[in-house]
Amino acid sequence: MDDLEKAILFSFDESGAVDSVLKSQAVNYCQQFKENPSICTVCIEKLCFCKIVQVQFWCLQTLHEVIRVKYAAMSSEERGFVRKSVFSMVCYGSIDEKSAVRVLDSPAFIKNKLAQVLVTLIYFEYPMIWTSVFVDLLPHLSKGSVVIDMFSRVLNALDDELISLDYPRTAEETAVAARVKDAMRQQCVEQIVRAWYDIVSLYRNSDFEVCSSVLDCMRRYISWIDINLIANDAFIPLFFELILANGLSEEFRGAAVGCVLAVVSKRMDPQSKLSLLKSLQISRVFGLVKEDGESELVSKVAELLTGYAVEALECVKRLNSENANVVSMELLNEVLPSVFYVMQNCEVDSTFSIVQFLSGYVATMKSFSPLREEQLLHVRQILEVIYTQICYDPMYRDNLDVLDKIGIEEEDRMVEFRKDLLVLLRTVGRVAPEVAQVFIRNSLASAVVSSPDRNVEEVEAALSLLYALGESMSDEAMKTGSGLLSELVPMLLQTRLPCHSNRLVALVYLETVTRYMKFIQENNQYIPMVLTAFLDERGIHHPNIHVSRRASYLFMRVVKLLKAKLVPFIEKILQSLQDTVARFTSMNYISKELSGSEDGSHIFEAIGLLIGMEDVPLAKQSDYLSSLLTPLCQQVQALLLNAKTLNPEESPAKITNIQQIIMAINSLSKGFSERLVTASRPAIGLMFKQTLDVLLQILVVFPKIEPLRSKVTSFIHRMVDTLGASVFPYLPKALEQLLAESEPKELAGFLVLLNQLICKFNTSVHDILDEVFPAIAGRIFSIIPTDTLPSGPGTNTEEMREVLELQRTLYTFLHVIATHDLSSVFISPKSRGYLQQIMQLLLYTSCNHKDYLVRKACVQIFIRLIKDWCARPHGEEKVPGFQNFMMEVFAMNCCLYSVLDRSFEFGDASTLILFGEIVLAQKVMYEKFGNDFLVHFVYKGFSSAHCPQDLAEQYCQKLQGNDFKALKSFYQSLIEKLRLQQNGSLVFR
Amino acid sequence: MALPNQQTVDYPSFKLVIVGDGGTGKTTFVKRHLTGEFEKKYEPTIGVEVHPLDFFTNCGKIRFYCWDTAGQEKFGGLRDGYYIHGQCAIIMFDVTARLTYKNVPTWHRDLCRVCENIPIVLCGNKVDVKNRQVKAKQVTFHRKKNLQYYEISAKSNYNFEKPFLYLARKLAGDANLHFVESPALAPPEVQIDLAAQQQHEAELAAAASQPLPDDDDDAFE
Repeated sequence: MDDLEKAILFSFDESGAVDSVLKSQAVNYCQQFKENPSICTVCIEKLCFCKIVQVQFWCLQTLHEVIRVKYAAMSSEERGFVRKSVFSMVCYGSIDEKSAVRVLDSPAFIKNKLAQVLVTLIYFEYPMIWTSVFVDLLPHLSKGSVVIDMFSRVLNALDDELISLDYPRTAEETAVAARVKDAMRQQCVEQIVRAWYDIVSLYRNSDFEVCSSVLDCMRRYISWIDINLIANDAFIPLFFELILANGLSEEFRGAAVGCVLAVVSKRMDPQSKLSLLKSLQISRVFGLVKEDGESELVSKVAELLTGYAVEALECVKRLNSENANVVSMELLNEVLPSVFYVMQNCEVDSTFSIVQFLSGYVATMKSFSPLREEQLLHVRQILEVIYTQICYDPMYRDNLDVLDKIGIEEEDRMVEFRKDLLVLLRTVGRVAPEVAQVFIRNSLASAVVSSPDRNVEEVEAALSLLYALGESMSDEAMKTGSGLLSELVPMLLQTRLPCHSNRLVALVYLETVTRYMKFIQENNQYIPMVLTAFLDERGIHHPNIHVSRRASYLFMRVVKLLKAKLVPFIEKILQSLQDTVARFTSMNYISKELSGSEDGSHIFEAIGLLIGMEDVPLAKQSDYLSSLLTPLCQQVQALLLNAKTLNPEESPAKITNIQQIIMAINSLSKGFSERLVTASRPAIGLMFKQTLDVLLQILVVFPKIEPLRSKVTSFIHRMVDTLGASVFPYLPKALEQLLAESEPKELAGFLVLLNQLICKFNTSVHDILDEVFPAIAGRIFSIIPTDTLPSGPGTNTEEMREVLELQRTLYTFLHVIATHDLSSVFISPKSRGYLQQIMQLLLYTSCNHKDYLVRKACVQIFIRLIKDWCARPHGEEKVPGFQNFMMEVFAMNCCLYSVLDRSFEFGDASTLILFGEIVLAQKVMYEKFGNDFLVHFVYKGFSSAHCPQDLAEQYCQKLQGNDFKALKSFYQSLIEKLRLQQNGSLVFR
Repeated sequence: MALPNQQTVDYPSFKLVIVGDGGTGKTTFVKRHLTGEFEKKYEPTIGVEVHPLDFFTNCGKIRFYCWDTAGQEKFGGLRDGYYIHGQCAIIMFDVTARLTYKNVPTWHRDLCRVCENIPIVLCGNKVDVKNRQVKAKQVTFHRKKNLQYYEISAKSNYNFEKPFLYLARKLAGDANLHFVESPALAPPEVQIDLAAQQQHEAELAAAASQPLPDDDDDAFE
C-alpha cells in the first residue's frame, strides 16, 4: 500500500481507530495530491490495480471533479486518455494487460460513481467530440449481465445528472440536455431500444435482476423517445406477458408495470391517446390486485390503474366528438371498479393519487347533470371508499381516548390522511348532495347499532362525514334544511350515542352540532336540545378535559350566533356553569396544556355575550356582572397583597393564577358594547373602571413578568374599546409602566396599543402621545439598525426577527401619527431631538426598503409632513430646514434616483402604487414650494441625470396642469427614457 | 463506527447521514439531543461532527450515529464520501427559504448514488417561524420518491422524535416499534403553538385596526 492509499484509508475511516491528528494529515495529503498535474493518470492507474473501495471511490470522485472543473484546461491527449480508460472500465475491459482489477466487480456505489464520471464526459463531448460513445457501448452488452447492469447505471445517471426535469438546472445544462437528447434520437435511440428488447427476451428466465434494471431504465426514457418504438407489437405483448407471469420475481413484474404506466402517461394528443389506451386491453391486469393485497406488485398495478384512469378521464374531458367521448367513458367505466377495489382492500402507496383522480372524476361529473345510473353508482362507491378509509382502527381506541403518545401519533396521522378524502367528500356533496346525505344518514344509523367492537370508530367516521359535508353546503341550504338535513340535525340532537364518553366521538359530535347551527337559528324549537347537549356531560361537563374545553369554545360560538334568542335561558345557563367558572380561576387549575383556542376562557366570553345584551334589565345585568367581577378582583387584590412575602416556589403558580383571572375578565368584557357601558348604562362602565384600577396594580407589583405584562396590555386594548374616552385618566400611568425596560417584542406590542389609541381617538390623544413619544423614540433608536440590515446565513435568528417586527410596527406607528393630524408631536420641544433620526430613517426606508408597501407608507408620511409643516403663503418656516431637506435630499433620492434604479420594476402592481405616491409627493412639493421646487428638482436633478431639455419642459407643464394621471404616466415614460439613455453608465447614490 | 474515544456499544447502531443546504438547521437539530451532544466528537479537519444519539424502544436501546456534514457542503472534505456505508438518512430543508427546498432533489440524488435503497426522511425545519415560504401543501417531493415527510422545528423540539422513529421502524422492519421513553432534549427556545399563534395574530390585527372586527369565526372555519 502506498502513501496515497494509506492517506485515503485514514481520511475515510469510520471505525474511530485513526486519531484525529493523523486523520488531519491524511486529509491534507489527499487534498494536496489533487494539485498533481498528472492526477488523472494516477487515479486511473489506481483504479486498475487497487481493490480498496475507499481508494476507488476517492479516485473516481477526483476524476469527476477534475473533468467538471478543469475540462477546458485539459490537453487533448489527457482527455483522450481519460475517455479511453473510463470507457474501458465501463465495458469491463482492462486498460492494459497487467491490470488486475476491474471496477465493475466493486459494490454498487463505486459503479454509480463511475457512471457519473462517464456522464460528465458525455456532458462535454457528446456528440461533437465523442460521437460514438453509445454506439460503441452496445456491442459490449453481449459480455453479460455485469456490463448490462453498468449500461443501465450509465443511462440512469445520464437521466439524473442531465435530462430529468426533477432537478433544478442551469440554462447551460438545459441546453446541453437538449443537444444530447437530439443527438441520441437521431443516432442511437433505436439501437438502444432494440438492445433493451433483446436483453429482456434473452434473460427473462435466467436473470430477473438485470431485466428489472433494464426495464426501470426504459421507464425513464419513454417520456422523451419516439413512442412508436415502445407502443408496438413487440413491446406491449412482452410487457403484459411479464406482468402476468407468475413465476417471475415481483420486482421484475413491477418494473414491467412501470413501463406500461410510462407508456400510458406519455404526452400526446387525446385522439392518439385514446387509441393507445384502447389497444392495451388493460383489463388483463385487473385480476392481479385481487391476489395479495399487500404486495409490492399490487401497489405498482394500482398505480398503473390509477394512471390509466387519469388518462381516460382526460380523454373524456378533451374529446368532443360523440363517439370518442363514449369510447373514453367506456374505458373509464371499465377500469373504475378495480380502482375502487384497490382502495377498499389493499394497502397501497398510491392512495393519494387515487383520491386525486377521484376528485377530478367527481369534478367532471358537474358537467353531466343529471347523473346517469352508472355515475350514481360510482358516487355511492366513492362514498363507501371514503367512509372505510377514514375509520380509525379499533386497536387504537384506548390510546386515542386517553391521548397518550401512540394516540397522538395516530390522530395526527389520521388528520393528515383525512384531508384529501374529505375534500373529495365535499366535492361529492356539491355534485350529488342527496346521495351523500342518504349515505351519511344510513351510515350513522347503522353505526349506532353496530357491534361494540366497531361502533365507536364507525360513529366517529359517520359524524366526521356529516361535519365535512356541512362545509360544502350553502347558507341557504343550511337554513332551510334542504334535502335530508331537516331530518338529520334533529336526529343528531336526539340521539344518545352509546359511545359518548369517548373523546373523539364527543368532540366530533359537538363540532357537528355547531356546524349546523344556522339551521337551528331558523328552527328555534330545537334550542333547548342544543343547550342541553352543550351543558350536560356531552359538552362542558364531559369528564374529559379536552372535550369540556373545546365545548366551552364551541358554546361561545353558538351563543354568539343565537344570543338574542337565549335571553329566557340565561338564568338556567349561568346556574349550570357555576362550577366551570369557579374552576377556571381557582389556584389549582391545570393550565399545563393551555393552548389558544382551548384554554377554557371562552366560557367567560359566552357568559359576557349573554349578560352584556341590552335585553337584560339593568338590575339583573349589574347583579350578574358584579357576582362575577367582585370575587375575581378580590382574588387579584389578595394575591397582590401577599406578593411581597411570596416565596419563589409559590410565585409561578400565583402568577399563572393571576393570568387566568385577567383572561377571564378580558373574555367577559367582550360581550359589553361601548354604547351600553358609556352611554346607556354608566353604572356598568363604572364596574369595569374599578376592575381596570385593580388590574393596573399588577404592573406595579410585578413590573417585569412578561406574561402578566402582555395579559394586562390585552386588557387595556379591550378597555380602550369598551370604555372609550373615559379610559384616558388611566393611560399615563399604565403606559409609563409598560414602557419601562421593555424588550423589542414588548415594545412592538406597546406601539400596537398606541396605534389603537390614535386610530380610535385621533387628536384627543395628543397630550398623552406627546408625553410618551420621546421615551419611545429613544428606546427604539437604541435597538433598531437605521440603515442596512444584516443579511445572509446566520442572521435569520429569532432576535433579528423580533427587531424587524419592531421596525415594521414603528413604520405603522409613524404613519398612523402622521395621518391622524398628530405630526406636531414630532416637532414638540421634548421630541425635537429625535427629528433628525426619524427623517433619516424615513428617507432611507423610502428609497431602499425591500417591501414596497413600507416604502409607500414612508412616502405618504412625507407628503403629510409637507402639508402640515409647509403652509403657504411664505410665512416663517415652521420647521427650519425641512423644506430644503425635502427638495434637496428627499426629492432627489427618492423621487428621482430610487425610481431610476432598474430594480424599480414598473410591471409590478405594488411598485406602481408606490410610484403613484412618489409622483403625488412631487405634485404636493410643487404646490407648497412653487418655483423653488422646479429649480431644485428639474434644473439641478434632471440635468444631473442628463435629461433632455424638451422633456424637462414637458414635465414642468404636466406638473403645473391639473391632470394627475397624465403627470404620472408622463413621469413613468420620462424615467424609462432616462434609463435607456444612461444604459447603465451612470451610477447614482 | 464510532469516532476516536467514542465507546462502541453492544446494542444495534446505525449510520445516519444528515444532508441539506447550509443554514437549514441540521446542526441545531441533532444538538437538541442532550446525551448525543455530550458525547459528540468534532473532527475539525474533515468538517464533520458525529453525534451518537440513543433512543429507547420497546425492543431495546438503539443508537444512531448522526453524521452532520455541516459547513462543507460544496468543496473540501470528503463530500459524498461521507455517505459511504450510510444506513439511513435525513434530508433537511428550511421552510422559510424556498431555494433550500428546490435543492432537495439534488441532495436526494447524490445520496442515492452512494446509498441505494436506504430509508430516508425529508424534514421541513423552522415551522415555528411566522412567514413560511414553503407551505406544507407545496411539499410534494416525498411522494414521488416514497420518502416520509415531517415538519419539524428544531428550536421548539416540535416533532423531534418523528424522523428517528420512522427510520428505526424501517431499519427494524417493525411498523409497531415505538419509543418507550423520551430522550433528554434541550429545553425549547421558542414555544410552538399554532392555535395560540393564530389567536395572537388575530388579537394584534384586531387591536391595530378600527373598528374591531369580530373575526374568530373566520379563523377557525
